[in-house]
Amino acid sequence: MSGAGLYALAGVALVMLGLYGLAVQAHLLRKLLAVNILGSGVFLVLVGLGGPAQAGPDPVPHAMVITGIVVAVSATALGLVLMLKLTTTGGRPTLEDDTPGEDPEA
Amino acid sequence: MSPVLPELPWAALLILLPLSGATAAALWPPAARAIGLLTTAAGLLLVAGLGAMVADADTLRHPVGGWGAPLGIELRADAMSLVFLAATALVGLGVAVYADSYFERAQARGFWPLWLFLLGALNALFLSADLFNLYVTLELMGLAAVALTALSGGRAALSGAMRYLLATLLGSLVYLLGVALLYHATGTLDFTLLAERLEHGPASRTALGLMGAGLALKTALLPFHFWLPPAHSSAPAPVSALLSALVVKASFYILARLWLELFAPLSGLEGAGTGEVLGWLGMAAVLWGSWQALRQSRIKLLVAYSTVAQIGYLFLAFPLLTAAGLPDPAAWRAVLWLVLAHALAKAAMFLAAGNLLRFGGHDRIPDLDCVAQRLPLTVAAFALAGVSIAGLPPTGGFIGKWLLLEAALLQGRWDLVAVMLLGGLLAAGYVFKVVGHFFTPAATGHAARPVPPAMEWTALSLAILALLLGLAPAWLLPWLDLAAAPGPAEAVP
Amino acid sequence: MSLLQTGIDALLALGLVWLAWRALACPDLFRGIVLFIAFGLLMALAWVRLEAPDVALAEAAIGAGLTGALLLAALARLHRIAPAGTRADTREAWRNGPALLLVLAGAGLGLAVLSLLPEPAGLQAQVAAELGRSGVSNPVTAVLLNFRGYDTLLEVLVLLLALLAAWSLEAEPPRREAPPGPVLDLLLRLLLPVLVLAAAYLLWAGAHAPGGAFQAGAVLGAAGVLALLAGWRLQPRLTGLPLRLAIAIGPGGFLLVAWALLLAGRPLLEYPPALAGALILLIETLATLSIAATLAVLFQGSRPGAEPPA
Repeated sequence: MSGAGLYALAGVALVMLGLYGLAVQAHLLRKLLAVNILGSGVFLVLVGLGGPAQAGPDPVPHAMVITGIVVAVSATALGLVLMLKLTTTGGRPTLEDDTPGEDPEA
Repeated sequence: MSPVLPELPWAALLILLPLSGATAAALWPPAARAIGLLTTAAGLLLVAGLGAMVADADTLRHPVGGWGAPLGIELRADAMSLVFLAATALVGLGVAVYADSYFERAQARGFWPLWLFLLGALNALFLSADLFNLYVTLELMGLAAVALTALSGGRAALSGAMRYLLATLLGSLVYLLGVALLYHATGTLDFTLLAERLEHGPASRTALGLMGAGLALKTALLPFHFWLPPAHSSAPAPVSALLSALVVKASFYILARLWLELFAPLSGLEGAGTGEVLGWLGMAAVLWGSWQALRQSRIKLLVAYSTVAQIGYLFLAFPLLTAAGLPDPAAWRAVLWLVLAHALAKAAMFLAAGNLLRFGGHDRIPDLDCVAQRLPLTVAAFALAGVSIAGLPPTGGFIGKWLLLEAALLQGRWDLVAVMLLGGLLAAGYVFKVVGHFFTPAATGHAARPVPPAMEWTALSLAILALLLGLAPAWLLPWLDLAAAPGPAEAVP
Repeated sequence: MSLLQTGIDALLALGLVWLAWRALACPDLFRGIVLFIAFGLLMALAWVRLEAPDVALAEAAIGAGLTGALLLAALARLHRIAPAGTRADTREAWRNGPALLLVLAGAGLGLAVLSLLPEPAGLQAQVAAELGRSGVSNPVTAVLLNFRGYDTLLEVLVLLLALLAAWSLEAEPPRREAPPGPVLDLLLRLLLPVLVLAAAYLLWAGAHAPGGAFQAGAVLGAAGVLALLAGWRLQPRLTGLPLRLAIAIGPGGFLLVAWALLLAGRPLLEYPPALAGALILLIETLATLSIAATLAVLFQGSRPGAEPPA
């Protein structure tokens, strides 16, 4: 198998790790880490599948991944701010004991 | 056809104007309100201009950058995108006027640029014909929606927003993984070219599964609905209206497009099997969502669960499409009708709920205190919108559900018919449960805050539009027939 | 492909998966973040091996560098707000049921990937054919700023949106800080010019070599982060309109270019070939400034110019 194929498969593994982390981790910072790892996995599949072909690397997935990286950092920044604000109002950086339906508009 | 409106690049304007407005509002906060209201109002004119051109030309394409597919991105406007754009413009204007009275000064400063970003992202999404560009619009829309949800800063709103953020990010990344597979299978991201090149095989099957799951998560189709009730019920009322009326419809729009144009025409597992699964999930969503709504004791949660149920109705059309193996225009025009009717009615309901909350300081159904006499316009708005949601005549919701029922009957799908009827009964149940309490005095009196007239009138106007939709089928049906027959037909150049 | 190269790729791929797993599983959050940054740097190496140097630069600067800085800053703030909340006990959280399901799903996904590997389709030929008319000679920059420039317009808007969203939440009241140490201050005075030069080089090189607005913006943003760490703050008179202008000028300038082209009767974002190079450089320069300002302000956490409580 070519090197690029290895990275595409590693991407699949990262996606699965990210999904698992997102599902079982309670701490919001860790959930955001998991989303970032999931995203990295998707990016690896996107570029790794194209691989270094005979015609040279395909620049379109490269551009898409750069766009994806910027989107990911934006989303992470927003997520971190939300996490901090949530902790200031409720004490713990988790979503566990929140039941929907309390206090509609503070 | 329309000598009044000139031929302008309406599609490009629909995207550029709100996004420029958002940037300007961020740069110059004192003008944010004026920019926000003007830009939102201009949206109606732009949709009308685009509509006149689509009526003449069927499908408009706009090659961004002048390159054209597959190298560049193309915008596409047809009757189907126009239905969603029109819903966005109408609901958006109503909500913007409402929000102008709703938010305090400090929150308004946050609201206007975020709303304009959301509006621009929605318009861009409904006009895009490129799979990766759709991913970027999804993210722009998702982040704006999350930020708007958290705007009030309360604990419930924050945790609802956080849940929503994680769900929406997960949904878009899973969608993007599907895009990666399709791109490398076909060498293009453009819908039309994909429809020509996509073949049945493991890659297309996996891509369908991934994109379907990601978008279903963002649309809150059962069993992926867990994030919706906390987010939609805890957001500020105008934001709840936008989320339920428009934002969940955007991911549904992409899913429907993918389905109609790419996957349903393929033979094998991609076609019939998945359509059936989506139909079952839709049925489950109708029953479960309606039942949960009936059990709620707070209005905003009730309305949010009602959204879970109404989203289910949209998915009932998927098995109807594939049973015959060919697109069934009857089922699809029903779906489009339901999209419009639900957008108007659900927005009106959330705005009315916001008025009740403002008035009494709470939205507990048993403690509503003779609001019928004290907020007659709001009560009328809620009741009218509720009648439409329950699918009773003579409203827009009735026509939509009638059309869907007709399509199901013609194909002999009695399971779908039974679910639709049962869902209607449950919906009537939860609507009248609330309406009944409008007229009763509460056990304990409550201090009441005045509700600005603009907030009452906008809720009522949207509800009246939902009603008028039911009186205008003859005028609108030709449009929807045009919109309901896209897809496979278009794949043949 | 030689055996040695395949061996390197296999090690790198395994290392990525292992670091990701450790970052998610280790009980200490600080260690988790540090492992995540290491993961990002390894990703950059993987991009180099995949012949994607532009992505490698973006990953190192943004994916590992600035995301890592944001995570560490958030952890420090979390520690101040709720010291008990900075530990995440994961031992009981790791369960076997869903893991099995995910392994199965991963196997299915891997098979789909393998089915595409023999002859993946792409757009290399089309990009190469039109590169001459794009105004730049680096194909990735041509895709980002010209062929798919519309995506990039939306993307810089996403960054602006994230900042506005953070501001609308006002996560934390700003606090008074200790004055910077003299060593850090001196180091910064030496380092800042180097970073600014590096950013300018990346920006200019992006037209024909790996680099571009995002990488340059991230490096400039990193300079801003360092300055913030050293205790430097914007003068109050600069925190109003001037700061907002710096943040909005990237997306704003991009939008103005789009309007101008539209008014000239061209399709959305269609550059005249003769002007393409100049327009791309203009857009990238403005975007670099905004990206840097936005990332630095996001790192600081609170809205600059907001008064700390007395």
